Order: sequence, then structure tokens, then C-alpha cells
Amino acid sequence: MIVRTGGIRSARSSLPVGELVFALLMLGLGIFALVGVFGIRVPAGATVGPTAFPILVSAILLVSSSAVLIGVLRGQRAQAEEGEDIDESLPTDWLTLAKITALVVAHLALLEIIGWAPAAALLFGGVAWALGAKRWWMALLVGCVVALVVQIVFAGLLGLSLPWGPLLGWLGGMF
Amino acid sequence: MDSWTLLMEGFATAIQPQYLVFAFLGVLLGTAVGVLPGIGPAMTVALLLPLTYTLEPAAALITFAGIYYGGMYGGSTTSILLNTPGESASIVTAIEGNKMAKLGRGAAALATAAIGSFIAGTIATLGLTLLAPVLARFAVNLGPADYVALIVIAFVTVGALLGSSVPRGMVSLGVGLFLGLIGTEVLSGQQRYTLGLLPLADGIDVVLVAVGLFAVGETLYVAARLRHGPIALIPVTRGWRSWMTREDWKRSWKPWLRGTAIGFPIGTIPAGGADVATFLSYAAERKLSRRKGEFGRGAIEGVAGPEAANNAAAAGVLVPLLTLGLPTTATAAIIITAFQSYGIQPGPQLFSSQPGLVWALVASLYIGNVILLVLNLPLVGIWVKLLQIPRPYLYAGILLFACFGAYAVNFSPVDILILLIIGVLGFFMRRYGYPVAPLVVGMILGPMGEAQLRRALQLSQGDLTTLVTHPFAAGAYAVLALLIGAGLWLKRRQRRYEQALTESIAVPLSADHEVGAR
Repeated sequence: MIVRTGGIRSARSSLPVGELVFALLMLGLGIFALVGVFGIRVPAGATVGPTAFPILVSAILLVSSSAVLIGVLRGQRAQAEEGEDIDESLPTDWLTLAKITALVVAHLALLEIIGWAPAAALLFGGVAWALGAKRWWMALLVGCVVALVVQIVFAGLLGLSLPWGPLLGWLGGMF
Repeated sequence: MDSWTLLMEGFATAIQPQYLVFAFLGVLLGTAVGVLPGIGPAMTVALLLPLTYTLEPAAALITFAGIYYGGMYGGSTTSILLNTPGESASIVTAIEGNKMAKLGRGAAALATAAIGSFIAGTIATLGLTLLAPVLARFAVNLGPADYVALIVIAFVTVGALLGSSVPRGMVSLGVGLFLGLIGTEVLSGQQRYTLGLLPLADGIDVVLVAVGLFAVGETLYVAARLRHGPIALIPVTRGWRSWMTREDWKRSWKPWLRGTAIGFPIGTIPAGGADVATFLSYAAERKLSRRKGEFGRGAIEGVAGPEAANNAAAAGVLVPLLTLGLPTTATAAIIITAFQSYGIQPGPQLFSSQPGLVWALVASLYIGNVILLVLNLPLVGIWVKLLQIPRPYLYAGILLFACFGAYAVNFSPVDILILLIIGVLGFFMRRYGYPVAPLVVGMILGPMGEAQLRRALQLSQGDLTTLVTHPFAAGAYAVLALLIGAGLWLKRRQRRYEQALTESIAVPLSADHEVGAR
């Protein structure tokens, strides 16, 4: 648990669990890549088979992620990236991240059923709401406009095959 | 002389009205998206890539040239006008530009950045025109072993120099190489690392990785700690007509030229791209200035030099990209993808096989520079409006266009799922200090590296010494050792320098922080 008192990070001294887990996952990827090498057939007569490069890649992953792990354990913490819209004094807002991820999944699941534009409007409105847009109906309205414009310009005029869906099928028929 | 006739033919193509419109649209879109806060040049190019899918190759490349220059330039407007204390220390230009704007000299800062970018961009494009054909002619004679050497150089410099820690950069590179392995292997026709999943059989599209890492990853990263409340913008007093005084011109022209001289060569070698160039230019200006006291408090030289260096480096990056097919930055890696989607493979043969296309592209770089200058100053009002977009809408829009771009690759919803997974990976990489650029470069160069390595060893019948005995390759590895040493030394200097700089200006900065907060 990360305890915050008056904006001072008391978590600094404790073990950085997230960082260690991520480095371990990268190490795991290296092991997965190395194990995968044994599943690749080497054709007879090839001087350099299809396994040479994967072995090299596994080695890079294994060595570098081990170096990161050792560094973290010795107290070399990562420098998180900075940005104009990021308030570094805030704790990570996992709920918002979960909402956004769920909205993207909903978008990709729905877009071939209800059509691209409605699914896109839902994604835009939902994400804006999750990020704290003041009026949810305004967010949805802007989403509808943006989605419609993209659908008409790219699917209607430029001919990309974005599904129109049952709601806008009549509009798609006009192009 | 020959390349001049070809360049003139290129101009004849690029000056046609329909291509001028595409160049104009490219610059406008590139700048507009580049101005948006939180969007760097790599993300600008990745997000706008789907727009060019519907165009024919020449039009698409001309649009892309505009997007590239516009995106490179757009960021400076953001850092001059957006008042976010603390963050600016990471980009040296932002310190001076931001301070100038606070002193009511925002118009002068924007003007010196725009004119400096134009001059540097034009001179550097001239350098590209002169250097590229010579290099391409030389590169035709390079064998597979030499290419392996060049690709190893790109791997190591990009992995070690982009980012704050060498091991983390190499992890990022390794993940990129691994993603490049997924799919069907060309020679034996078998699948590698696809886990038997059908969508992975053709490999993961690079567009998904680039857009996922930059757009989705960045959106998630910002969403986790979004700065709420009103957006603090510094108003530009007096219109753009009041630009620069005579003294501003006098203080700017030398930094412009010096910035160009620093930026272009650094851009051509794989040494970390524009970041290193801007830092070096800033340090040089500070050292040469007779008013050192003004630095950190709004010195115009500190905007003029680094901005020129930034754009000169952008043109320099195109030299290895066009002549050798080697991307040295994440942005360049995405541009290569754009080329490949039209079946054009950048490399030494490009200048002889597609001269019309290449020279039209080079010509449109000159034209794009002019458009950039003409557009930027009068449109400051629009850029200010863009900066005021409420952040929930801005990031919702970025995410929507990212999903649109991913879907437009194959029109398959599975691609959006892959995009999301890569985005989550990008989020955690940012959070734990892994640079994302080496991943993109590794994914593009990995398959090229494997093909060249196998070809080289096939020729030598498995004799590994072939990789280092070719004179060019041997020389390249020697240069690599030098580059790494110099690059790491520079990085350390840069970090120490920025730290000292932040501390030296910390007093005024924390003072107005106190007033602003609480």
C-alpha cells in the first residue's frame, strides 16, 4: 500500500513493487522467446536457420531485463515520463483507466453491430465523461458530431469501408 | 549538376496545384496536431498516417513531408504559450520561450522560432539535396555484412541513447525486436511466436504498434494523472505584426545559423535525434552569449538557436532514412512504414529506381518550409484556440482517432484489441521509465537486420568473421564505439546541465508557483 501524507511520498523508501513486477514480466518475455526457439523447425542445409535471430533477441531481453532488475533492487528508481497535462502530485487513478479500457473494448465489440459512427460517438462521449467533462450530454453530442463527420468524409467521400450500421444505413446508401 | 536537373523536375511535379494543396494540408494538419499539448512529432505522424491511405504515392509522400515538418515545429508554440511550471525543464527551449512570453514578448519568441525554423529547415534541406545522392551512390556498393553493421549501430545507439537509462532502453529495443519476430518467417514459411492465433500469422502491423504506444499509451498515461482545473495560457499581447524588433533580429541571426550547423550533422548520425541537437545548441548559445544572466529569464538566443537546431536535425534524419533505409528516430521509423505501405523501400536504390518520387519529395520539403513560415505567424490565434480545448475532449478525440487508424489498417476489430494491448504496454513503459522510441525502431529494423544477417552468413558459408572483416563494417563498428562513448558522455552532461539550470532558475520559478497555487 502506498501511504501519502501531505504530498510527501513515503513510498520512496519501500520496495517498488510495480517496477519489479514489470521488469520480471520483461524477463519472462525473454524466457518465453527463448523457449519458443525450440518450437521452430530448422530446414536441412540452411547455414543460418530461422532460430539464430530469435536466440539473439532472447539474449538481449534476458540480459537487459536482468540489468534493470538488479538496478531496481539496488535502489535505482525509474524516472517516470513528464508531460504538459500531467499533475505529478496526483496518485494514479486506476478507476479512470479501467473505464477507458472498458470503453475501447465496448467500441471494438459493437462497431460491426451498431455501425462505426454510433460506436465511435459512444467511445468519445464515454472517454470524455471518464476524464471529467463537466456535462455528459455535451460530451456525447460532440462525440456524435465528430463520429458523423469522420464517417461521412472517410466512408462516404473517400470510400473507406467503415460499417454504416442499421441506424445510418439510409445515409450510407446516398454515397 | 545532375541532381539539380532532377531537383528542378521534382519542383515541376511538386508545384502542380493539386500537390501544392496536399503540401498545404499536410503542413496545416501537422502543425495543428503538433501544437496540441502532449502530442510529439512521432505521435503526430502516427496519428495522421491513416489519412494518407486513400492518396496516390506522390500525393501521400508530399502530404507526409508537410506533416513531418509541421509536427516538428508545432511543439515549440505549445511550450512557449502553455504555462505549466516544472515540466519545461525537460526541454531547454521551453524555458526561455515560456519566460519570454511571461514578460510579454511571446510574439517575438514565436517569430524567432518560426523564422529560425524556416532558415534552418531550408539550409538543412539544401544539405540533404547535396549529400543524399552522393551517399546513395556510395551505399549501392555496400554488402549485407555492411548493412548488418549499420543496423547494429542503429540498434545500439537508439537503445542506449534514447531514454534515461541504458538497460531500460535495451529492454524496450528487445521487446520491439520480439514483436518484429511474430508472424510467418519468410524463408521457411513457418510461423514464429503466433501461438497459433490467426490474426498474428501475418505479423503485427507497425502502425498498430506506433499508434498504440504513442497515442493510446500516452492517453492512458495522462488520464491516470490528468491536471484538472483551468488551462493556464500566456496571452500573446500585441499582434503578430509587432514580431521582432531590430535588436531581436540582431540577436537571432547568429544563433539560427549556429543551430543549423549543430542540428543537421547530429540529425544525420544516429545519436539520439533532435533532443541532443537542441540541448547542444542551447549550451553553445549560453556559453557564447555576452548576457549570460538573461539565460533562464527569457533570452531570445535560447529560443532561436535550439529551434533552428531542432528543424535542421529533422531534415538531417532524412539523409540516412532515404539513402540507407535506416530510421534513427521513432518518427523516422513511422515514416519508413508509410513508404512501405506504398511498396517503396527506402535505400540506396531508391534514388535510381524512383527518381521522380524522391525528388518530388525533396522539392516539397522546400515548399513545406515556406508554407510553414507563411502559415505560422498569422495563425497564432488558431493555435491558441487549439491549446484551449478542454482536456477531456482532447484526449477522447486522440483515442477515437487512434482506434479509427487501427481499424482502417485491415478493417478488422481484432486490430483495435491489439492496439489496446500495445497501449497498455506503453502506459506501463512510461510509468516505469522505459523509453518507447527504441521499441518502434527495433520493430522496423529487426526483420531487416535478420534478412541481412542471414544473407551475409549465407555468402560466407557460416563464417562469422565476415561480419567484421569488410573494411566498411570494421570502420562502422569503430565509429559505433566512439558514438556510444561520446553520446553517453553528452547525455550525462545534459542531465547535469539541466539540473544546474533548473536550480539556478528555481528561485523565480518557485516564487510564482507559490502565488499560483493555493
